[in-house]
Amino acid sequence: MRKSLVAITIAAAAVPMLIGVAGLPRPGDPSAAVHTHVAARYIAEGAHETGADNLVTGVLLNYRGFDTFGEVMIIFAALAAVMAVLPRGATGLPGAGAASGIPISPIVAFIIRLTAPFIAAFGAFVIFKGHVSPGGGFQGGVILGALLMMLSLVLGRGVDRPLIPARSARWLQAAAPLAFFAVGVLGLGLTGAVLGYPAEPGRELLRELMMIFLEIGIGVGGGAIILGLFLETRGE
Amino acid sequence: MSHWLPLAVIVPLVAGALTPALAHGRPGLARAWAVAVTAWCTFATALLTSRVALTGPFSYEMGGWAAPWGIELRFDEFSAAALFICVIMLLVLVFSGPYVRRALPEARITWYYSLLLINLGGMIGFVVTGDLFNLFVFMELVAVSSYALVAVGGGRTAALAAFKYLIAGAVSSALILFCIGVLYSLTGSLNMADVALRLATIESPAPVMLALAGMTVAFLVKAGLFPVHVWLPDAHAIAPTPINAVSSALVVKLGIIGLLRILPLFGAVSLAPLYEALAWLGAISVLAGAFFALFQQDIKLMLAYSTISNIGYIVLGLGLAGELAVTGAGIHVLNHALIKAALFLAAGAMIHQSGYRTLHDLRGIGRAMPWTTLALLVGALSIVGLPPTAGFLGKWYIALGALEAGRPGFAVVVLAGALIIFAYLARMLNAFYFRAPSHEEMLAVREAPASMLLPVLVLAALCVLGGLLGRWPVMLIAPAVGRLVGGG
Amino acid sequence: MAALWGNIDYAAFVVLFCIGLYIIIAKQNLIKKLLGLNIMETAVFAFVVTSGMVDGGTAPIVGPGMSGPFASPLPHAMVLTGIVVAVSITALALCLIIEIYRQCGTLEADELKGAE
Repeated sequence: MRKSLVAITIAAAAVPMLIGVAGLPRPGDPSAAVHTHVAARYIAEGAHETGADNLVTGVLLNYRGFDTFGEVMIIFAALAAVMAVLPRGATGLPGAGAASGIPISPIVAFIIRLTAPFIAAFGAFVIFKGHVSPGGGFQGGVILGALLMMLSLVLGRGVDRPLIPARSARWLQAAAPLAFFAVGVLGLGLTGAVLGYPAEPGRELLRELMMIFLEIGIGVGGGAIILGLFLETRGE
Repeated sequence: MSHWLPLAVIVPLVAGALTPALAHGRPGLARAWAVAVTAWCTFATALLTSRVALTGPFSYEMGGWAAPWGIELRFDEFSAAALFICVIMLLVLVFSGPYVRRALPEARITWYYSLLLINLGGMIGFVVTGDLFNLFVFMELVAVSSYALVAVGGGRTAALAAFKYLIAGAVSSALILFCIGVLYSLTGSLNMADVALRLATIESPAPVMLALAGMTVAFLVKAGLFPVHVWLPDAHAIAPTPINAVSSALVVKLGIIGLLRILPLFGAVSLAPLYEALAWLGAISVLAGAFFALFQQDIKLMLAYSTISNIGYIVLGLGLAGELAVTGAGIHVLNHALIKAALFLAAGAMIHQSGYRTLHDLRGIGRAMPWTTLALLVGALSIVGLPPTAGFLGKWYIALGALEAGRPGFAVVVLAGALIIFAYLARMLNAFYFRAPSHEEMLAVREAPASMLLPVLVLAALCVLGGLLGRWPVMLIAPAVGRLVGGG
Repeated sequence: MAALWGNIDYAAFVVLFCIGLYIIIAKQNLIKKLLGLNIMETAVFAFVVTSGMVDGGTAPIVGPGMSGPFASPLPHAMVLTGIVVAVSITALALCLIIEIYRQCGTLEADELKGAE
């Protein structure tokens, strides 16, 4: 009985969806509305309107910067959610934390310590070059976050002695929303619209700096949040 | 361009992100900060609402890019819900002070206020945006904070209730994103007004119908309509009381407001079968919710099922699709928010002071906590829909709309739902006022502390005021209703 | 049917979506349900990105030496945001699962129903 109910539900979902997508324009058709409407302008004018060769970054930070602001808030909300749901280490399982489980092998520890500066440099590179080549704040932030996680493991820093002290960590985790607020207000002052970028010919450097500032904020915030998530779920 | 509009969204979100940093080690500061920011938001949304009441809907182009190249925020009469959201959130935050000091471990208190501010910013953003993908982003923001807030109190069943809520919410969000993708594939744009224009020229009906059906189903899941309501009772009853108020009063309304936002996109399609389905589902939900509520002993579960019933009223009003019925639905969105918040906060005060949750255990509380029980009584009268309380106007308009559309059966459903809840009201009043207490400690229970009692009384007063001054919201949303009914 | 064959990519993603939905409905283990949710979300992301593809196109990065039809950058931005949202939900869901296991000792939905 239950199986037939499940089958009916899946069929009820699958059949309309299949019929629906059959009527869509063929993916890849250059004359479809997807390529002739909004995207056409982004591709034609995007590079010199936004100052970003990577059009995706141009869309993310400039045209649709408000969406990206909502996105960084969602990342922060995920951290706040995890902090609000998990109990603090005191009530967790005994012996948890850095001392539990298999100790880090010296080979692994050595490799991580050796490559850490290069990983950090690569993360910074991805953040700074995000507007001219594939990359950006989120990608770089994840790289930095993963690096911080590995270092926490290797150096044996759990939730009681975190790599970034708690007081500063809270500010770093709020870095992305703060960066958006700062750039938004700056844009308000310069162009009369929140999150606007100056478009006059002489102001390209300022525009680029604003974008890089946002990328750094997203990267630092993302990395700090990932470290926070890791410590919180591990510290139990 | 008035810059209050984007700031009303950005400020509570950034303030929420700053809360843990500012209030590190000082939880008392978190509440003061949250209350201050929400008070500012109330002021900002009041300004915006007065502007839309005087001069009509207005837009704001984010980043200076005109739609559809950029994101457009559009404040129309339905966006005035933002004002109600701020007011209710303000009262919930004031109420939260003594409640969370006892109910939550201290380490979580700052994160609680941070999540509530993020929830507030997300809700305001949801009702003011004019862009489909922006709608999705803010919807997810409200969702993530809501899932966490359900589980914030800890306890055996809270995490499971939050998980079920999360699965239901995430599945519906995935469906909405899929339908946004379908609409984008058809029209190449994400701006709501632009998509509405372009959809009218699409020849193949199948993908358009798919997007319409998918989004409707997904938003109805988020609103908690029967039969996709299964996540609602546990999530709304097990969470801490201030969160119950926010969830039942505000978050489920986002499903309704989402429907209101996307239905005009499909103006070219014949929506009659959809409206018919909505009306029937709404009617079933009214009766089912009221019926289940009748058999609950736990007061919070009763209120949760009552929410399902009232969402049924609103969907029924939308499904009847006449001007009167849709006005009734819109009014009830606002009024039910006030009533349900009043009821949950009053019930929460009772549970906080006495430690009991069921009707049987709460006997005699009317004498121990007279003001709170009076507020609960006012709320209960409102939810039945007796004039001159706030609940009357919405149900009256919906019933009139049913008669106007030639469907008297639905008017009978409206009445039947009210009668069933009235039966429960009589039971409740009997238990609170006229029965002897089942527990001796009940005699020693004192009235709630001021910061909990004040919001309860204010909300109860608003329930009555909402009924007496009911003409004003009706006049406020009339242009938006006219656009919705005339266009669709 | 011919139209469906032309949009075979979309059809494949719909099938993936329904597989994810089936896992969520039919499987009892909470972690499996979460995996099903991730499969559903991945299917939606793939669908959105595919809608922005163009025949013979390249990534939407204009610069010296880049030419030819570019894929639309808008779906890429949408999916980037979507992936972040999915990761956030998954993180929260996993923490809820940790908490459920700590409180109830089991992760099977039918056992949890009985224990409530």
